[in-house]
Amino acid sequence: MNVELVLEALREAFPTEALEPRAVPVDETFVPLPPDCVHPAVRILIERFGLRHLSTITGEDTGSEIVLLYHLWHGRGLTLRAVLPRDGAHIATLTDLIPGAAFYEREVSEMLGVTFDGHPDPGTLLLPDNWDGEPPLRQQRGGVQ
Amino acid sequence: MSRMTIPIGPQHPALKEPVSFLLTVEGERIVESALRIGYVHRGLERILQNRNYVQNVHVAERVCGICSHAHTTAYCQGVEALLGLDVSPRALYLRTLLCELERIHSHLLWVGVLAEHIGFTTIFMYAWRDREIALDIMEELSGGRVAHAVNVIGGVRIDVSQAQVHAILARLDELERQIGTFLDVIRHERTFQARTRGVGHLSAEQVRRYCVVGPVARASGVDVDMRRDAPYAAYDRLSFQVITADEGDVWARAMVRALETVESLHMCRQLLIGLPDGAPSLFKKGHSDGAPSLFKKGHSDGALAARAPRRVPPGEAVSRCEAPRGELIYYIRSDGSDRPARIKIRTPTLTTLMTLPDQLRDIHTADVPAVLAGVDLCIACADR
Amino acid sequence: MISEENVLELTSILFAILIFPGFGFLFVCALGFQWIDRWVVAHLQGRIGPPWFQPLADFIKLMAKEDMLPIGAHERACALLPMVSLAAVLTVALYVPVGGHVVGAFEGDLIVVLVLLSLPAVAYFLAGWLSASVFSVVGGSRALLQYFAYEVPFLMALSGPAILSGSWSISRIAALQSQTVWMVLVQPVGFLLAFVGLIGKLKRSPFDIPKAKSEIGAGPLTEFSGRKLALWHLSLHTKTVVGIFLLVDVFLGGSGGSPTIWGALTFGAKSLLILLALSVAGVLYARLRIDQLTHVGWRVLAPLALLQILFVIWIGA
Repeated sequence: MNVELVLEALREAFPTEALEPRAVPVDETFVPLPPDCVHPAVRILIERFGLRHLSTITGEDTGSEIVLLYHLWHGRGLTLRAVLPRDGAHIATLTDLIPGAAFYEREVSEMLGVTFDGHPDPGTLLLPDNWDGEPPLRQQRGGVQ
Repeated sequence: MSRMTIPIGPQHPALKEPVSFLLTVEGERIVESALRIGYVHRGLERILQNRNYVQNVHVAERVCGICSHAHTTAYCQGVEALLGLDVSPRALYLRTLLCELERIHSHLLWVGVLAEHIGFTTIFMYAWRDREIALDIMEELSGGRVAHAVNVIGGVRIDVSQAQVHAILARLDELERQIGTFLDVIRHERTFQARTRGVGHLSAEQVRRYCVVGPVARASGVDVDMRRDAPYAAYDRLSFQVITADEGDVWARAMVRALETVESLHMCRQLLIGLPDGAPSLFKKGHSDGAPSLFKKGHSDGALAARAPRRVPPGEAVSRCEAPRGELIYYIRSDGSDRPARIKIRTPTLTTLMTLPDQLRDIHTADVPAVLAGVDLCIACADR
Repeated sequence: MISEENVLELTSILFAILIFPGFGFLFVCALGFQWIDRWVVAHLQGRIGPPWFQPLADFIKLMAKEDMLPIGAHERACALLPMVSLAAVLTVALYVPVGGHVVGAFEGDLIVVLVLLSLPAVAYFLAGWLSASVFSVVGGSRALLQYFAYEVPFLMALSGPAILSGSWSISRIAALQSQTVWMVLVQPVGFLLAFVGLIGKLKRSPFDIPKAKSEIGAGPLTEFSGRKLALWHLSLHTKTVVGIFLLVDVFLGGSGGSPTIWGALTFGAKSLLILLALSVAGVLYARLRIDQLTHVGWRVLAPLALLQILFVIWIGA
């Protein structure tokens, strides 16, 4: 995958966004995007570059916001980074483009309380059916000294 | 014909780990299936946030029993990237050697499990007996059969002497002869073929849609292997083949894994024969040839493990590794303290789990164990 | 008036039924054959196998265990079924000569034996049906399908020697072979079919589909435990013994005509040979699927059996 060509295509598609890619070990490029640009960006990557492999979706609660990382791979790593507000976090689902995103989105949704609009089979993945507590990975750092 | 619901799991003789399939059956055919995981979810990602980087090596090792070394490899690589540490060539070779030995033992375990599930107990017994050879080698190298604790941040904690190298090479020869038996059975034995050919078929398109990785993907013709495509550890210095097949059924997966075991054997030989010299190790002042003695403060350049600081500077790293079941990815974010801010693990079994509803549709009930065994589920990995 | 001879006759009949060649002897043989089978299979698989008293220990342990059934199962029927199965097998044993000794024989006892030997299969299926668990019901229906696949070739294969000997009494068929020639030499196909049919009847690998552990728990017997399960296992192992004896008598000439030590030894050797063959056959193959088995049964075994019968009728004429 030629990272330069990909970045150029993304800049073309989203001229109003200032895309500031940065290199991340090991051989990965992080591209920040607004949340509603993630779905169209992935569509461009699939249609123009044949990039279809989504390794996983990482979610993190930094205390002030929720960060979603879409780790894609096509010979080299490309990660799309979207930032969501802590309250009412929601983003369009990728399952219509990449069905393999289903489990990853379910896990992020149950662990961080993010809603993926249009997910065909929402529900808990790893947590018990009767879980009624806080999403476990929300910011409450405590634990072992 | 009326429908019946057969529960496979969470406890079932066909399953090694708890996972639940509710199969709706009409006669002897399955109409639909519902999958439920999470029975061994231990909240490890949360635990990893609450411990420091050194403790996390041991936590990462316990994500899974069979692919423990792959997890610590991916984790240590990520942290080493964040620290900007250079790992010595000898340490990389030893790390890779354990990776390949683990692949051998995992694939042999799997051959046995598949055989047991289709009623071929003899091959199960033979496979697990031969797996003992690989386990004995790993025990001699590291002191543990499945939990090796070989990786440390900055390198490895073991060393191997010339005498040990020769002994291990002899045993690898023995193992290669035994693996020849399995290859014969998989290729020629008629009842094995009757139970595995055409069962659990996945097309290359389905594999790409679900982002499947590992031998399951390679058996459907999708040529992807992190060892060749994103080389890590010592893989850029090894010559090996990536095995693929076209049939996409359980038989193809058996062939792919069996041939991969042979490739791993060849790689182990390359690693042992081409082991670079190590300078005085961290563990024993002066000699590079002896077995590790009691821990002593010593040199760190060229040593088997570079000194790693406790605090990791802020940054992010994405580390990929080819576990026995496929691509294993670790995302690590550090915030400058001695504990990681976020570690995300995605294990290969999660991808193959997504294909199971497709594979279990419209098949014989009797093919269910073969299908489940064919995807080599490691639920502890998937649940974390 | 009860005379001394009557008393002696009564005692000898009781001895024959209860000790030898009856229930006591069969019990010992069931345990012994089971141990030999497990020992041979273990060594073929690179293991050591259990000690000689293991089958007895298993039996005693099961008899002492708690016995429970799920809600919805027919308690009384489930208690009776293993006893029916065992009773059928033991009745069959009365007519199958062991080393020349037999408790009772009459013209046509082969047919009675074959009918009685089907009873355990019916009991097995009913056990699955009546014990109200998903796994056992599926196992039961598979057992029935499997039964139809092998029973017809088995019956036809065993009829061959009867037609050729002109008698339907097992003792007579066995005795005749010592004067003429072993049946296996005249109808090898028939012997093979009977052997394969026996594997199916005993639900041994590769025909252990009804109790395929990795698919449906333990099939029809999933919900049985304790004393009931001990009796099921006993009936299965006694059926193994009786089945082997039947094959030896019908195809391999029984005890060779002499009811002495020499005859007993030859009989024992032939039985062990068949047992060995059963063990080896079990180790060599993967388990077939039920549709593959019915395919083999109806399209391969049954036509072969038919051909064998026609051949026998032709040379008999």
